[in-house]
Formats: sequence, structure tokens, C-alpha cells
Amino acid sequence: MSPYFKYILGKLKWYVLIFFAALFLNFFLPRLIPGNPISALVAQMAGGGASSDVLNKLYNSYIHEFGLDHPWYVQFIDYVVKVFHGDLGTSFSLYPTKVNTILAQALPWTIALQVPSILLGWILGNILGALAAYKKGKFDGTLFPITLFVSSIPYFCFAIILLYLFGVILNILPIGGGYSMALTPTFSIVFLTDALKHYLLPFLSLLLVIIGGQAIGMREMSIYELNTDYVRYAKLLGVSDKKIIRYVFKNAMLPQITGLSISLGTMVGGALITEIVFSYPGIGTWLFNAIRQQDYPLIQGGTLVITISVLLANFLIDIVYGIVDPRIRASQLEE
Amino acid sequence: MELLRSLIKSRKFLIGTSIFLALLLTSLIFPLVNSSDPLEMVGLLYEPPSAEHVLGTDNFGRDVLIEFIYGMKTSIFVGLVAGLIATLIGTTIGVIAGYVGRLTDNILNSTTNLFLVIPSFVILILLSSSLKSRSLLFLAIIIGITSWPWTARAVRAQTSSLRTREHINMAKLNGMNNFEIMLSEILPYVSSYIFMAFVLQVASGILSEAGLSMLGLGPSDVVSLGTMLSWALLYEAVRTGAWWAFFPPTIGISLITFSLLYMNTGMDEIFNPRLRGE
Amino acid sequence: MKKLVAEVENLKAYYKVKGRILKAVDGVSLGLRDGEVLGIAGESGCGKSTLAMSLSGLFLPPLKYYGGKIKLKDIEISKMDRKLLRKNVLGKKISFIPQSAMNALNPTLKIRNFVIDVLKEHEPELSEEEIIDRVEERFDSLSLSKRVINSYPFELSGGMKQRVITVISTLMNPEILLADEPTSALDVSSQHQIIKLIKTLLERRIVKSVVFITHELPLLRHIADRIAIMYAGQIVERGTTSQIIFSPLHPYTKMLMSSIITPEKGMKGKELPVVSGSPPNLYEIVAGCRFAERCPYVTEECKINEIKFHKIGDREVRCLHPLTERNGINAAK
Ligand SMILES: Nc1ncnc2c1ncn2[C@@H]1O[C@H](COP(=O)(O)OP(=O)(O)OP(=O)(O)O)[C@@H](O)[C@H]1O
Ligand SMILES: [Mg+2]
Repeated sequence: MSPYFKYILGKLKWYVLIFFAALFLNFFLPRLIPGNPISALVAQMAGGGASSDVLNKLYNSYIHEFGLDHPWYVQFIDYVVKVFHGDLGTSFSLYPTKVNTILAQALPWTIALQVPSILLGWILGNILGALAAYKKGKFDGTLFPITLFVSSIPYFCFAIILLYLFGVILNILPIGGGYSMALTPTFSIVFLTDALKHYLLPFLSLLLVIIGGQAIGMREMSIYELNTDYVRYAKLLGVSDKKIIRYVFKNAMLPQITGLSISLGTMVGGALITEIVFSYPGIGTWLFNAIRQQDYPLIQGGTLVITISVLLANFLIDIVYGIVDPRIRASQLEE
Repeated sequence: MELLRSLIKSRKFLIGTSIFLALLLTSLIFPLVNSSDPLEMVGLLYEPPSAEHVLGTDNFGRDVLIEFIYGMKTSIFVGLVAGLIATLIGTTIGVIAGYVGRLTDNILNSTTNLFLVIPSFVILILLSSSLKSRSLLFLAIIIGITSWPWTARAVRAQTSSLRTREHINMAKLNGMNNFEIMLSEILPYVSSYIFMAFVLQVASGILSEAGLSMLGLGPSDVVSLGTMLSWALLYEAVRTGAWWAFFPPTIGISLITFSLLYMNTGMDEIFNPRLRGE
Repeated sequence: MKKLVAEVENLKAYYKVKGRILKAVDGVSLGLRDGEVLGIAGESGCGKSTLAMSLSGLFLPPLKYYGGKIKLKDIEISKMDRKLLRKNVLGKKISFIPQSAMNALNPTLKIRNFVIDVLKEHEPELSEEEIIDRVEERFDSLSLSKRVINSYPFELSGGMKQRVITVISTLMNPEILLADEPTSALDVSSQHQIIKLIKTLLERRIVKSVVFITHELPLLRHIADRIAIMYAGQIVERGTTSQIIFSPLHPYTKMLMSSIITPEKGMKGKELPVVSGSPPNLYEIVAGCRFAERCPYVTEECKINEIKFHKIGDREVRCLHPLTERNGINAAK
């Protein structure tokens, strides 16, 4: 078995384990706290003005869906089986729409917003950070404090500032939503340009903050690498700066890749809240609405989808890391 | 002492600390001299700044300036409590994992990694969305207990690099037990890292609270910078141009996080001199 | 006398850190002859590595050139343009074995790719195959396994890494090899291999002369032809190996000789008293003899003016009271 394959297999096992842990948390945590979703809901419905017919129908479907008459482990197995069948239950607030349907509609927006901004932000941030380390003084003196300040502005604060500046004061970009109300999503030029206009602000606000954060990490890593013995040795053998920078860049990148995998959860969280600022029709905005309407199946479905996406992204990052860092493969051989 | 002197010499650390302390003191002293209730409605919806209400009023007709100062206090409180809890748990787990090693390390480290990969805000949402009303302390505690893995990871790395040091072997020979060694031979050596991690945890705790508030899961008993933002968004302050309702909390949160991060950068440069880029 | 391959005159290289100046190499003069190994010995921190670096003409910040000359036959490299230096001198005329060989290779680059990078820099017309052929041949001829060429640094043992570095550094047949403590981090058998390797390189005229730096003066007995003793940024005594080792003139040399473990025939030597006292602060250099504070023979006279080199027969020493006149035991033979 090739060491790389062995490495991937090990990672795969690990992620399957985390996946089940996440499923368990997703199932268990809401039930941990007294005043669980169902009883809260029953109370809410008892107080609401719904007709008893609808109320009964709802109530029975929840009892059935949650299998509340069974012990918790039966409920959990039930839940896992349902998740594996791709069934996340029925939304309370948009009854009888399935949670899957809602999330399936929202997910593409979120992915379209987050994947490019995180990836591009990560790449540009790393290049900028490496440059700042290399061109110490010139670049570093002024750029660094600015970058640090930008990157310490939380995603959603930055989003609000951009929204106010470009959407309200300058009034050159739409102030929210994923597309104009008058349009229906199709693959027409009109719709796409309209969607692109709506995309710009949320995208930029994520991009800039991510660039800032990455640049700072990369600058530190690059300064560290620039001072290593191998750099000095290569210089003393007459290797050109261009090649040395390539060494440094690659080696400083490696921890940045692991860094990305660790901070991905935070980034995604920040991005989801950015969606709320722009009323962008992704998972974040849906989650916000679900929370306000105490739509538990939708909340739990949303968090599960987010967790799974983050796990998947992390798995991909690990695969890439295994390719670029030879030491990882070697450490598999030793075992 | 030596350390303290070099910390004071660091411009970044000084600037960061001064901003943070200034904000903290303002939020602590102001309520002593001004007894207005931040939740009291004193005007109409979104009144622009005036002599009476320096930062205008919010969507409920409350005075934004007073809300802002109380909100800052709330946010810093959440940050400190959450940071403290996270640092306690993280340090304990990190030191034990790093020092004891073997199976214990394996288990603790896997657990840490597991919670690093599962996004902590998901856990926060699941925990707090089940409750109809959430106290500030509850939020601070759950933020604390979901954010320890960062600290645990950093402390574990530092500790395991210390494990084979001479002075620890000496301590063993002198009959110290593991607990004493961790307390007296390891903790003091990793304390600078722990403090740096704590500062970062405070910042991230403040952000977590703000994020939760933006999702509508903020504290239901007090004003925080996050709930201010959340109300401002919900009541269209941005789109209607009521800048005074969302600028203060935006700036407040950014300034607090910036001051903490700057503090951290300053300390980093002192504790890891190689970063100091001559 | 053999002809000189390099001549260093009054070389000054200081570290400039936060406005403060640390005089790590403070007026060093040396001559390097064809075919010889010049040993340089001194305590930790006396500026040996800095001197070695400076001899290559490459002053990497925070190290700065403050004066003096480094002459290779006909060219003067101390003020040479960085680009020209890199193209014509580094690796080609003067090569280097760094002190910390453990980390001297890029951890994520195969040896193969590193040598390609190095050689292409100097001979761009070579193809990768030609380069690898040449490197394999060189490895073979020095009885190193060719297999290591396809390894990553972390796959090599410490001793192997050091030998690989020695071979890489001499791939372009440099005239001068600056070896900065090439053996100090190694076990005894690896030390012997490195020394054998360096001798082979000299015998085959792959390198013309070697500057061998160490803090273990006795080690030089087995490899150096001449020795210079370094203290606080300066050379304090120069002579042939037997002169320095068997009849040191400078009190510091004597201290160095008697203080360090003597590795006789691979046996663990007896540990003798460590050099007492510590070297002076190189930020604030005192007037007079830099060794005065620690010298058992110090007089008031020593603390007034900077001590110049004194000629004693064919030997040179920076000392007002060299050990010859004090007790006669070391009268020049
Ligand atoms: N990058 C640097 N910046 C500032 N000072 C330095 C730097 N490198 C070395 N020094 C200082 O210069 C002096 C000489 O250092 P150098 O490394 O040349 O000594 P050395 O004789 O090689 O010691 P060792 O035997 O430990 O290798 C020391 O006082 C050291 O602290
Ligand atoms: Mg040295």
C-alpha cells in the first residue's frame, strides 16, 4: 500500500468518526437542555391561534417525526437512519415543506459565496503576507498595521460598513438579497448580471477580511522561514533569491494549509452571519429566520449541513496537504 | 519582572493594552456616574444625534450612547468569562495531554482535534436555540466550554516540548509526583503562552457573543454590542441610513478585538523573538 | 612557501541590531595557502561563524561589512556587487559548510532538486540529466550511496546529511571551502568520516584549501596545517599546528588547550577544567587586551592600548607577555 493511500485511509477513518460524533451532538444537544424543542413547540401552539385541526395534525407529525415515545437511543438510531436517507424532517415555519428542500435551495448560494471568497482570500492573503515578509520595511511598515486592523474587524462589522458605504451612501450596489425581487432565478444573462451585482458586496467583505487574516499569518511564517539555516546555506551556495523565495513560500504555506483547516469553522460561521447582514438567500439567512421562528428541524438541518460541509472541506484540505508535504507521507511509512 | 519590563517596552503591547483598558474603564465607571437605564425608552424610533442624545436613539427609542456603554461592558464581560473558562479547560487538558503522553495524550488530543474540526458555533447554536430566554452568564459559559480546544492545542504543543527537559527529570528524581511537576515545573514555563491564548480567547469570546446575537441568540436580559447590531439590522437601520444605531457597536466590537489582537502580537514578538523581523 | 589563494586584511563585520553595534569580526587578517587546511579555534561566541560567513563576501543582515579586504588571487570580493558575487564567487570559488547542518537543507526539497537548483544557477546550460549524472559520479567517487540523491533531508541520518552537504558544497570545485564546525554535532565515527572526506577532497584537488572552524582546538591537530586562535572578534595567535598545540604563546591558547576534552583515538577523553570566566561583551569593547580580565599574567600595561601582533621568530601573537619569556618552557624550537 502506498504511504499516501495509507495516509488518506487514516484520515478517512478519522473523519467518519467525527461525522458520527457530529451527528450525535446535533441530535443530543437540543435535548440536553430542559424545555426541549417539542415541549416548547407544544406550549407555543397551545398559546397560538391555530385551529385545532391543523394543530393536531402538526402535533402528531412531530410526535411521529421525533419518535418521542421511544427511548433516546432508539430515537438516535432512527435519526441517523433518516439522515442517511437524506431526510432532515419537516419545517415548522414552512409546513409542510421538507427541510431538505429549503436547504437544497439555500446551499448553492452559500457555496457560491463562501468557496470563492475563502479560497481566493486565502491565496491572495498568502501572497501578500509573503511579500510583506520579503520586502520588509518598505511594505511591512505601513501595510502591516492596516492589515492587522482590517483583519481584526469582525466579518459582519466589515460587511455592515461596506453595505452602508456602497449600498446606502454611494448607492451603487444593491443593499441586499441574492437577486432583484422582480426576477426569478434562471440562467439568463439578465439574471446572472443582477445576481453578480448582489454578490459583489458580500463577496468583497468576506474576501478582504480573509485576506487580512491570512496575510498576517503568512507574514509571520515567512519571516520565520526566511531566517532558517537552509535559506542561509542556499544563499551561500549562490542560489538566486527567486528560487529561495520559492522554497520559503512553499514551506511557509504548509502551516497555512493546516491553519486553514483549523480556522475554517470560524470563517464559515463568520460568512453565515455576513449573509444575514446582506439578507443573502443562503444557509445563514435561513438559519436566522429559523431561529426567530423557532423552527427546530430547520435549525438542526442547517447546522448539520454546515458541519458536514466543514468536515468535507477539511478532508479535502488534508488530502492536498498529504500531496504537498513529503514529511506526512514519510511518517505513514514509519508506522 | 524581566518579562514585564520587556512587555512595557513593546509599543504594540502598550497600545493594545491601553485601548482595551480605556474601553473597559469607561464601561465600568460610566454606570457609576450616570444611573440611566439603558433599556429605558427616551425618545422615538431612530432619532438622529442631538444635544440630548449624543448618539441618537435606536429602534426602540432608547439612548444609543448609554446602550453602547452598557453593551461594551456586557461584551467585555462575556469575553472575559468565556476566555477564563476556555483557558482553564484548555490549559488543564493541554498540560495533561502534553505531559502524561501516550494513551492519555492520544485520547485527549483526539478529543481536542474533534472539537477543533466540528465548528463551535454550530454547537453554540444547538445549545442556545433550545432555550427561549438566555442569560448572559449562560452564554458566557457555553462560549467558554466550546472554545477551549484552541488553547488545549497550543498548550499541549508547548508542554510536550518541555517534557524531556532536564529540570523535569530532576524534579522526578526528587520525588515530585506528576501533579506537582505539572504545577511547578511546567505551568510556569508555559504561562506566557497561556496568557497569550487567554487574550485571544477573550477576543474570540466577544466575537462569538456578537455572532450569536446577530443570529438572534443573544442574551435576553441585557444589551450587548451584538444585540444592538442585531436590532439595528432587523429594524433596517443600515438601509434607512440611521448610522448612529449601528456605527457605535461596529466600531466598539472592532476596537476591542483590535486592541486584544494588537496586545497579542506585541507579546508574540517578545516571546518569539524570531518574529521580530529586524 | 606555497602561493596564497586568499588574503584577508583587517576585515571588519559587525552586527547592527536596533542601533547597537556588535563587533563580531573586528579586524581579522589571514592568509590562506594553496593545499592547506587553516584551522580557526575559539570559544563559543567569539565570532568564528561570523568570520566564516564574512570570508565568503556575503554579508547577510543584520551582519554588515565595516571595512577590510578579502582578496582571491586577483579579485577583491568584500565590496563586490551581490549579483556578481552570487554568479562568480559563491559556491564556485568559495563554498561553505554551515555549522548547523541538521537544518541546512530545505526539508521539503529532495536532494536531487536542490543540487539541480544550485548547479543550474552557475551553469544554466546543463540539462537536469547531465547535472544528476555529474552528481552521481561525484557521490560515487567519494563512496557515498547514490540513493541518497533521491531522498528528502529528513530521511537521512545526521552524519549522512553532513557528508551530503559537504559534497554539495564542493560540487563546483571551489577553491576555498569554509567548514564551520562540520563535526561538532556528530558522533565520533561520523566525525572521522567527515574529516576523511575533507582530506580526500583536498588530495584530489577538488578544493584547493580549507578553513576548518572548531571550538575544540585539539581536534585541529589531526587536520589543520596552520591554526589561528580567535578571541572576542580578533585573531590572537597564529602559527603552525604543532606550534600552537605544543607550545602555545598566548595565555588564551594555553587555556583552550588545557580546558577541552581531548578526543584521543576515539576514546572518551578526560574532562579538564572548563575555561574560567567568560568572553567580553562584544557590544562594548574595552581598551587594551581583550583577554586581560581573564588572564593570569595580566599587568596594568595590558589594559592601556590595543595589543598589536608581536613577531616571535616565525610566529605571531597579540600578547605583551607571551608564554616564552614568562617561564621559558615554550622557547621556540
Ligand atoms: N544574527 C545575529 N544578530 C546579532 N548578533 C549575532 C547574530 N549572530 C551572532 N551574533 C553575535 O555575534 C557574536 C559572534 O557569533 P558567532 O556565531 O560568530 O560565534 P561563534 O564563535 O560561531 O560561536 P559558536 O561556537 O557558538 O558557533 C556572538 O556574540 C553572537 O551573539
Ligand atoms: Mg558558530
